[in-house]
Amino acid sequence: MISKQDFPAINERPPEGLKADGTPYRVLVVDDSMFVAKQIGQILTSEGYEIVTTATDGLDGVEKYKELCPNIDLVTMDITMPKMDGITALEQIMAFDKNAKIVMISALGKEELVKKALLLGAKNYIVKPLDRKKVLERISTVLGK
Amino acid sequence: MRVEYINPFVEAAYNILTEVLGGEIKRGELYLKSTSMPVMGVAALVGLAGDVEGRVIFDMSLDSAMKIASQMNGEQLQTFDDLAKATITELANLITAQAVTKLHDLGFRFDLTPPALFTGDNMEISDHEVEALIVPMETDQGKVEVNVAIRDRM
Repeated sequence: MISKQDFPAINERPPEGLKADGTPYRVLVVDDSMFVAKQIGQILTSEGYEIVTTATDGLDGVEKYKELCPNIDLVTMDITMPKMDGITALEQIMAFDKNAKIVMISALGKEELVKKALLLGAKNYIVKPLDRKKVLERISTVLGK
Repeated sequence: MRVEYINPFVEAAYNILTEVLGGEIKRGELYLKSTSMPVMGVAALVGLAGDVEGRVIFDMSLDSAMKIASQMNGEQLQTFDDLAKATITELANLITAQAVTKLHDLGFRFDLTPPALFTGDNMEISDHEVEALIVPMETDQGKVEVNVAIRDRM
């Protein structure tokens, strides 16, 4: 019989997506692309994060944040979306909850856009294509891990 | 069409395809087209408007689109469904956004429209009074033609 002792972990570490009490960080994903939402979900859940729900435009994102607050630890926010763009949604969520932790995820890396998002309160800005390691590092920094 | 507009698209297409597909990407010979041209079966179109105006089309066969979408999702997709369509749309978005970011750094100011995806047989594109430059890219999943038509705003 194979037991866990037969496979000693060299660097055993808890999954990054779990808080000290063992419960997962709860994430709201705001992205209009089914592909990107799936990709973000796969990366985060593989480290133990919980995707509470997904919003497909900025307006939906703001409404879902208000509904779920304070039970949301982090928001990932796309920028180019129908109905309301991610920058406006960022502004509205920050006005509602100044402690919101929002990470922008966009294919657009224009310097002035990045600056604007950070000045408006975004905690980080990830330029796509998404790399698993990069996403996990940035998010764990934002959560102060 | 000014060459400054083209290079960022060629570089971005090469970089993004390499990053999301892995494997070797080969760039074919560029060519110009000024007449109507047939498209291969799946075409994602992104519009540009600002200091310059025009559009970029990413054109591929349905078979290549299926293989590319499967590779990007890390699983074999069976039909060209909503997920496959969202994946090809995202590929167009990634390439165009990186090119626009480069052009922005060079001082050009314009915005993008969200990609629109067209699928079907025997389609043809006609652009009046604007030349299109075609950049063929060969991937392990098949050929993708990046078709760029941009002109200075009058």
